[in-house]
Order: sequence, then C-alpha cells, then structure tokens
Amino acid sequence: MTFSSSYLFSLTTFIYLGAAALYLTHWIFRVQKVGLLATVVTVGGLVIQTVGLGLRWIESYQLGYGHAPLSNLYESMVFFSWITVLVYLIIEWQVKRRVIGAFATPFASLAMAYASFSPNVEDEIQPLIPALKSNWLIAHVVTCFLGYASFAVACGLGIMYLFKNRFSGASEGIIGVMPDCKVLDELMHQTIIFGFLWLTLGIITGAVWANDAWGTYWSWDPKETWSLITWFVYATALHARFVRGWAGRKIAYLSIVGFVAVMFTYFGVNFLLSGLHSYGAQ
Amino acid sequence: MKTSSSTYQDTSIWRFFASVRLAVFLLITLAITSIVGTVIPQGESLQFYLETFGPNFFRIIKLLHLYDTYHSWWYLILLGLFSTNLVVCTLKRLPFTLKLYRRDNLSVDSGRLLKMPFKKEWEIKEELDNDSTQSIISAFKEVVGKFRERSDVDGGKLFLAERGKWSYWGVYGLHGSILIIFFGALVGLFLGFKGSVMLPEGEKIDQIVNRQSGEHIPLGFSVRCDRFYISFYDNGAPQEYRSDLTVLNDDKEVFHKSIVVNDPMEYRGVTFYQASYRAIPEVTVQVAKSATLHRSLTISAFQRALWPEEQLSFGLMQYQPNVHGKPAAQIWVGDQEGREGSFWLLKGNKKEFKKGENLYKISLTNAKQRYLTGLQVKKDPGVWIVWLGCTVLIVGFAIVFWVPHRRMWLWMGRRKGKITVILSGQTNKNKLQFEKDIKKIEKALDSSLGARQ
Repeated sequence: MTFSSSYLFSLTTFIYLGAAALYLTHWIFRVQKVGLLATVVTVGGLVIQTVGLGLRWIESYQLGYGHAPLSNLYESMVFFSWITVLVYLIIEWQVKRRVIGAFATPFASLAMAYASFSPNVEDEIQPLIPALKSNWLIAHVVTCFLGYASFAVACGLGIMYLFKNRFSGASEGIIGVMPDCKVLDELMHQTIIFGFLWLTLGIITGAVWANDAWGTYWSWDPKETWSLITWFVYATALHARFVRGWAGRKIAYLSIVGFVAVMFTYFGVNFLLSGLHSYGAQ
Repeated sequence: MKTSSSTYQDTSIWRFFASVRLAVFLLITLAITSIVGTVIPQGESLQFYLETFGPNFFRIIKLLHLYDTYHSWWYLILLGLFSTNLVVCTLKRLPFTLKLYRRDNLSVDSGRLLKMPFKKEWEIKEELDNDSTQSIISAFKEVVGKFRERSDVDGGKLFLAERGKWSYWGVYGLHGSILIIFFGALVGLFLGFKGSVMLPEGEKIDQIVNRQSGEHIPLGFSVRCDRFYISFYDNGAPQEYRSDLTVLNDDKEVFHKSIVVNDPMEYRGVTFYQASYRAIPEVTVQVAKSATLHRSLTISAFQRALWPEEQLSFGLMQYQPNVHGKPAAQIWVGDQEGREGSFWLLKGNKKEFKKGENLYKISLTNAKQRYLTGLQVKKDPGVWIVWLGCTVLIVGFAIVFWVPHRRMWLWMGRRKGKITVILSGQTNKNKLQFEKDIKKIEKALDSSLGARQ
C-alpha cells in the first residue's frame, strides 16, 4: 500500500477503535496507565488523520479537481470523526476526566469504521458539482460539524448522567469513577451551548449560501427543516434549565434525543428523504 | 402598593404568555410538527395526495394543509404564539433587568460584602499608613484595571471593579433577533417576488412570471442571454453551467455578466440565478424555387421560420441527431391557404415538395443544439433584515453565555472596632476565571497584610 490519504484513514480507523477500547478498559478496570495510553493513542490518531485530511486535499489538486475534503458522505464522515476527537480532547484537557472518553471516542471510531467499511459509501475523490463550488462550502461544513461533534459528546455525557443518576448510591465501581451528576450536568450544558452556537452558525452560513446559489435563504428542504428541528430540541434543552424540575435527567434525555435528530439530519435525510442536499448521500 | 401595570401583569393569561414553560412547550411542539413536512412531500397537486395516501388520509392532509405544512394555518399560529411568547416574556423581564442594571453596587455595607460567594477578611492590629493603603489598592488595580471608589461607606473606603453589566441586555438581543428574522421574512414575502424564466440564447425578457401568483411582473429593464455554456468533467459529471447575460435599459446595453451557479447577477434589487437549462434543436435548411431564387432559413423547435415572399412557413417537428451518422429532421411546411405537409430530411439529401403550382427543392444544411438557460429571478428587500437578525442572534448568544457580569469589591475601614480589609466578589458566569483572578488579589493582599494580623 502506498502512502496515501486512504491508507492513513484506514490506519486512523483502527487507531480510533483501539483508543475507544482503551478508554473503555480504563473506565471499567480503573487502570490509570491505560487511561494515559488511551489519550496518547487518540492524539496519535488525530495527528495521522490530520495528515490524511491534508494529503487528501493535495491529492484532489493532483487529480485536477482542487477542493477541500468536505464534498461527499465519505469525506464528511472522516471530518465528523476528526472534529469529534478534537472536541473531546479539548474537553478532556479542560476537565481532566478520561472516563468521558469511553462515551465520546466510540462515536468517532464508529464514524470512521462506517466510512471505511460500508459498501454504500464511495470513498473516491470526486470533482465538485457546480452547486458545491462556493467559498461557503468550507464555512458551512466546518460550522455544522463542530455542532454535530459537540452534540455527539453532549450525548455521551447525557448517557453518563443517566447511568450515574440511576445508580447514584454507588461511590465505587464503574459508576463511582464517573464525575458527579452536578459536574456532568454542567459539562453537558456547556457542551450543548458550544454545539448550539455552531449549529446556529451552520444554519446561517447555509442560508447565506442558499441565497447565493438558489436565490432563497430558506426553502424548507428536508435537510434545512431537520437542522431546524435539531435546533428546536437544543433550544428546549437550554431553556429547560430555567423550568423548575427540568434540570438534570430531562436535559440528559433531551441531549440524547437531540443527537438522534442530529443523526437524522446527517444521515436520515440523505437516505430516507429527497431534497436539495442529495449530494450528501453519495 | 399596586400600580396599573402590575395588575395586568398579574393576570393569568399574561403570566401564561410570559412563561418559560410555554417557550419549552412551543419549542417541543415545533420540533415534532416540523417533521410532518419532511415526511409528506410538499407542494404537489391535490390529485397526487389523493392517489398516494388514499381518501381518508387525504381529508386530513387537506384540512391541515399538510401539502404546504410550513405555511399552514396551524403552523403560522404556532409561530405567532412563539413570537407572542418572546414579546411578552421580554416585557415582563424588562423592569427587573432595568433594576439590576441601574443598581448602584457601591451602595453596600461591609456586612453584605461578607455574604458574597467569594469573600476574604483581614483584621489588622495597627492603622494602615498611606503607603500600605496604596500598595493594597495597586494590588487590586493590577488585576481588575479600572475601578470606582466611594469614601465613607459603612465607615470605610470602598472600591468597586464592575465588568459586563451591560451583558444583561444580551438576552433581549438574542430573543429580539428571532423577531427581526421573522420581520425580514415578512418584508420579503410582501415586498419581494420569486419567479423563473427559460431564456433562449440570443433572446431577451423584460418581465417574469411570479411563481406563487402567476402574474407577470415587469422588470423595468431587460435581460438578454448571449450564450449558454455547459462543460463536463472526464467522468461525465457536470462541471459548470454558465450564462452570459446582458442588461439592457431602453435597448441600450448597460453591462454584461457571466453567471454560474453560486455567482448570480444583481441589478436594481433583482437577482438572476443560474438554475437550469434546456437544449433545443435548431436546423438550417436551404429552400430553392429556381437556380436564382433560393433562401436559407433557420428553424428552431417551437418556432416558425417564414419565407414571406413565397408565403411559406416552416416548423421543426422532430429532430434526430444521429441517423446513419447524420442528423435528420422532420420538417413541417404550410402555406397561406392552410395546406400543410411534413417530411423527413437527412443532412446532405435533397427533397422536393409542391405548394400550389410551385415546386421547391429543400435540403438540410446545418443542425445544432440551441440552449435555453433557466434563470431563477428574485427580489427580496427583506434579506438584509434577515442577515441583521442572524448577526444579532450570534452576538446576543455570545453575550448571554460568555460575557459575565463581574463585581469585585475592596473595602478598608473599621468593623466591630477592628481595622479590617475585605475583598469580596461575585460573577454570574465563568466562575473558574473569576476565581483565578480574585485569588490573585487575595494572594497579593495576603503577602502585604499577613504580617500585620
């Protein structure tokens, strides 16, 4: 195999799967050293994937197409996993809790695995169709995926919260090592705020782009509508904190439901509904 | 004491519209109901829904306008409630925010300072001289920057560093931005239009058809399509659609612009977008009555070509680009008396036809594709209002979540008979950074006051 972006991405897939396994081991068996190893492996995977993304960009120029690697489903999934790992590592660095990795890195490794192994996903570099030839492509995709990645992490935190809340008596064991409900709740809230800002920016850049390309900033295309549905769900989560009795568990559920809406916006719309964003399905 | 304003604010309907509960309910309802329009195809004919969904479900679709969900009466009611909720909620909170904003944080006493989330107290044995007072103030100043002071507060001197008080207004920007966006959308709906046009190469338009109402809208100028180009990648995927357009004012050329997808042309508030294209065949025929009397005519699909002197008209009925390697066209011929006929012509072959007493020879000399460019035309004076709303939304969001209102007090005076220095503070966001900053002051004061305790 030659030194190419697809080789590096295959490598990344295995590294991330390994990292997810290490984080899970660290969480379940509470071995500190394994946790450190998990972080090192994840950072290594991120570096290799970053090189891969750069290389793929260069390769597209060599093919004469010349566009950022953000143009089809395969590239978007690679980017999704890249940015999810990035967002997770920032959170790990900020709060210094590796347990969260067991709930965040699986999203990144599953995305890579699906992109690499699914026969439905075309991994060749394709030229840009006229609709995608715009400076807004990078801004739109990056903002949306920063949102998606944050929501993936927030979903992981929501699952952790529900675990912790369910077995709140446990001060030891695999539940005991998780951060406190209060900490998880605050982290989830902060991550949702961060993701919400990027989702909003993603919707706005999409609207500006649509106005340039199609002559209308909002056309109720299924992808647009589903991004708005997602926006409503997280707006609910942000307001729910001000309603008595809604903090904590209900927001954790909203965080999970929100991520289901994200996944539907991302995949469901491409495969199940038709619309203007059809290039996302290839 | 009840004022008239507090009476209407006490009514349950007012409280209902001002509640966060209603906001949460509406957000969830909007999220769920918005799904409908992504599952049921939108904007099809009623016949389509009847055939696809059957008579029972069709009745529901018709009643609830599910063929155009996002403009249906009930969806608009939800958006109306949502807007009302935003407005009433704003009005209800406004006096409270004003009070917070106007509150003079220098009007406190030492006892209240000691009830703040962060506080530290030093009791000192001897009176502070001028030098040590200055060093305490400068330690405070080094971290906080600008501050205000007031002497004779609770028998001492008070210093206050306050930041981001204005951030209380962020939430109004954030909520108001949604209303600004709605307003921009309404402006576009009532003062703008959307339409489309298929414009053949070489031809011009001075009006377009409104997509919704079907009425003709005069542009006040005309637009000509000089050429349309299409190019493909090696793998057959389209690479570029391009139309060379010319704007004409009273038949005088104003300017040219080549538009592609993502790069429209704008003139006098009207924007032209490259949306689609169609190719129609165009053939050239040579018609001869005699060796000296002949004419070359170009016939486009859907159009007639005339030879007026001979009272002949020609039309193109069918076109085949490749019949045994040559293009072929089915030509229609008519004359003044309404007699007509048609025949196939293969390029290079001659045919004869008779009209009245005359015999004509006809041959196909040239055949090509002629393009029509599909332009999306729109005028939307509200779009800038929408962009303004989006900007306010983002800025408001950042203020609400990331600009803290921070207060740090330093008080020096006599408390319970002892010379006391109090450092206290409060923030509504980003406690981590706040604590880092105030601990820095604490440390500096510790080192200068610690020895005197």
